[in-house]
Amino acid sequence: MQTEIKIKDKIYKIEIFEMEKGLLKVNINKEDYFFTKNKLGELISVQPKSKIPEIDQEENGIVLDGLNEREIRSPIAGIISTIDVKKGGEVKLGQKVVTLIAMKMENEIIAEASGIVKEVKVKESQFVNSGEILILLD
Amino acid sequence: MKIERIKTISSTNQIAKELAQKGAEPWTIVVAEKQTAGYGKERISWFSPKGGLYFSVILPKSQIDDLQTLTVLAAFIVAKTIKDNFSLEPLIKLPNDVLINQKKVAGILTENIIGKEVKVSVMGIGINTNIDEFPQGLEKIATSLKIETGEEVDNNKILEQILKGLKEQLKTISQ
Repeated sequence: MQTEIKIKDKIYKIEIFEMEKGLLKVNINKEDYFFTKNKLGELISVQPKSKIPEIDQEENGIVLDGLNEREIRSPIAGIISTIDVKKGGEVKLGQKVVTLIAMKMENEIIAEASGIVKEVKVKESQFVNSGEILILLD
Repeated sequence: MKIERIKTISSTNQIAKELAQKGAEPWTIVVAEKQTAGYGKERISWFSPKGGLYFSVILPKSQIDDLQTLTVLAAFIVAKTIKDNFSLEPLIKLPNDVLINQKKVAGILTENIIGKEVKVSVMGIGINTNIDEFPQGLEKIATSLKIETGEEVDNNKILEQILKGLKEQLKTISQ
């Protein structure tokens, strides 16, 4: 599928390909972006292996499970209730970082990697969309 | 179904979450005679003296949409159980509360722990069953089944009926 969209004064040429079942390639002005569905059925961005230098490039394929673990993203849309980490603080694997009130439930978002908090991208009481970056880890 | 009965507990949801993270099976139920730090949505304190029914259910891993539906259905199950057992007309205040005569009689709080996927889900239910009186301030907004009926409530019977209802409903919404 090929289309053009205009945002402000800039025109973006967009092509969407289904690479294989569940994997979409979106070409925007000759730059490729890849998307797949996560286990919650939501569209998430994945990285092609060739763009991640530390990963073996021999296969030159796509990392399907490519959610970047240095980016903690909101799995669902909702309101940030509490933020349990601070910039510069240490985060351990499985540690709660944010509580999100969403879908009439309280959801503790946990880190899937250890690291130091590089940036807290959200504030308490803020509405976040699904897939939005909450915390960046170093 | 495994029922863990504890006399005094901080919060059944808190303990259920800890047990689930340590690998407790789905449909493990944590029941307390009283909670010292019971809470509802946004951590608002839930008055939990001895006499009430306080329990949390470790739910099977489910899609988040199903968990949301189950939370709403739980309010209906609690209201129906009250209606079936007593001559009372409970009203549901979606998604979390059940009221009698405009006063809160039960509350539900589902909590999830989510990484890349839903890792743990627990549903906590608090019902004011055999509570004789509420502290000043709460008496205007809360009531109990005992206050409304003048009769002692069989907590185990109510627990059993609600758990049966939850299990049946989850089957109908889960793949």
